[in-house]
Amino acid sequence: MTVNVSERPRAVHGGERPVRSRDPGWRIVAEQECRDLWVSGRGPVLVFAFSVLLSVMTYLAGTNQVLNFLEQREAVNLTLQVAVAVGVLVTLVVSADAISGERERGTLESLLLTPVSRRAIVMGKLVAALSLWLATFLVSVPYVWVLGRGVSIVGPAILLGLLVGTLLAVALSALGLLISALSSSNKVSLAVCFFLLLALFAPTQLPGGGPKGWFGDMLVRLNPVGAALRYLTAVVVNGHDWTRDLSYLVSPLVTAVLAGGALVIAGSRIVRLHGGVSGE
Amino acid sequence: MAGVSLEVVRLTKRYGPRTAVEELSFTAHRGEVVGLLGANGAGKTTTIRLLTTVLQPTSGAFSVAGVPFTRPAEIRRRVGVLPESAGYPGHQSGSDYLRYHARLFGLGRPEAARVAGRLLADVGLEERASSRISTYSRGMRQRLGIARALVNAPPVVFLDEPTLGLDPAGQRQVLGIVRDIAVRRGTTVILSTHALPDVEEVCTRVLILDKGRVLISGTVGEVTATVAAQRYGQLRVPIELVSPARRALAGVAGLTVEAPDERPDVLRISLPAGVGGEQDHPERGMNLALRAVLNADVPVLSFEVEGARLSDAFLTMTGDGVR
Repeated sequence: MTVNVSERPRAVHGGERPVRSRDPGWRIVAEQECRDLWVSGRGPVLVFAFSVLLSVMTYLAGTNQVLNFLEQREAVNLTLQVAVAVGVLVTLVVSADAISGERERGTLESLLLTPVSRRAIVMGKLVAALSLWLATFLVSVPYVWVLGRGVSIVGPAILLGLLVGTLLAVALSALGLLISALSSSNKVSLAVCFFLLLALFAPTQLPGGGPKGWFGDMLVRLNPVGAALRYLTAVVVNGHDWTRDLSYLVSPLVTAVLAGGALVIAGSRIVRLHGGVSGE
Repeated sequence: MAGVSLEVVRLTKRYGPRTAVEELSFTAHRGEVVGLLGANGAGKTTTIRLLTTVLQPTSGAFSVAGVPFTRPAEIRRRVGVLPESAGYPGHQSGSDYLRYHARLFGLGRPEAARVAGRLLADVGLEERASSRISTYSRGMRQRLGIARALVNAPPVVFLDEPTLGLDPAGQRQVLGIVRDIAVRRGTTVILSTHALPDVEEVCTRVLILDKGRVLISGTVGEVTATVAAQRYGQLRVPIELVSPARRALAGVAGLTVEAPDERPDVLRISLPAGVGGEQDHPERGMNLALRAVLNADVPVLSFEVEGARLSDAFLTMTGDGVR
């Protein structure tokens, strides 16, 4: 076969002005990452698995509600908490693979060779990971509505779940990307992220809610997942005004600001061809 | 200097106590194909990663098309790269892949689609444009990688082992594309490879690296000539004329002639460098030998010179080239 490479178009050569797109780099990366995730990737599979889990949870909550073991508000809260926690889990998993996975598949180098800044690459990946959180939350809306129909809490609960969950998803997704960028391999990145999620989520599932008193309260407040779920419970189950327990959202907010800030500030240094914490 | 696309001045990269590239200096001009040779670990890939801003140099400087290395994003707009062992997203089609990369280089959607289509045609992947990359052969992936390196129409292209793992037909295709990139587009190509015949075939200039340093640079002929290696020639004549041929060769000073037992129609000629009074062109000594045989009216069936190839220079300079 004969191949002929056409002459170099002058318009895109060297210092001459190329035909530029107005789209920022992060948006182009985010679009492609979303396409990879949703059209031919893991997105639909993860959302399907999530909906199966939520169906089981909703069935159990529904039957307990019928048997008067669970109040309607508690059933809504339980489903909302599962939606938030698991939605954030899958977002974290996707983030954990985002950089270290590309590095191992050999596709990161070609991305680093483009004029798009490393910070923009990370931001694009963050947006794509958050699309998974939004999808899982959308899936959970009908379940919450079914369990809470007839009571006025459903609308506010869904809105609150979206806001709190998004805050938590941003925080953990940014953390996942930081871990992914700094990990020496994809396995290490996934293992650290799973451990992180276990460490944050397990205390919220302790029988009786874990340690009591000021120490227990401090532990809950320090844990962004625990604090966010406690806030949801306070509003949805206890009927508190949404402003009353806002202090519980300090740790998710601080985590989101710190991890997101670290990504923005250090993104250009930590997204490298070789993983690990040592210099390149 | 006019026509200089790439200028490298005392470029150095150290990893702690280990020096990967040391004081590397060279220039490359428009339309040149510069071969970067060296054994494993010689610093070829590190050099390419430095010049494409993936790695930061410890010291030294370089510029691409006049843009200094202190503006990495602008450098990346002006280079195209086929990395060594490049990975490809198997679920994307070749067309999607190129469109995405064209957009990352700032092209709008319609322009990106147009460039992708043209480049796929250029590298002979037009018919497989919408197939998933996972269905591509290795040779097709390499050609796709070369097309990706051209999406921004760069003045300088770096190709790291582009023929690695390809069958002879695939190698020929890729080398044809490399030649076309330089000749038709006027692009400077920096070709890192272990395949020395590839270099002899397409490179206008060669740099041999060893332990991060340039051992020698020049044209293939210049590099080969600097090695005062003993030359060998295999002369095949009609079997009944072997004796007259030997007598004719005996008249050429400095030649050693042997007749291998396993091939009675072949004479093996050894020629120390400098025979014929041409220290810098020892191949002329072989001409003297050949002329002597022809003057004796002995027909030459074949004549093959050994030890005058780039591989000999490479092996001599890098100590056997094995790491």
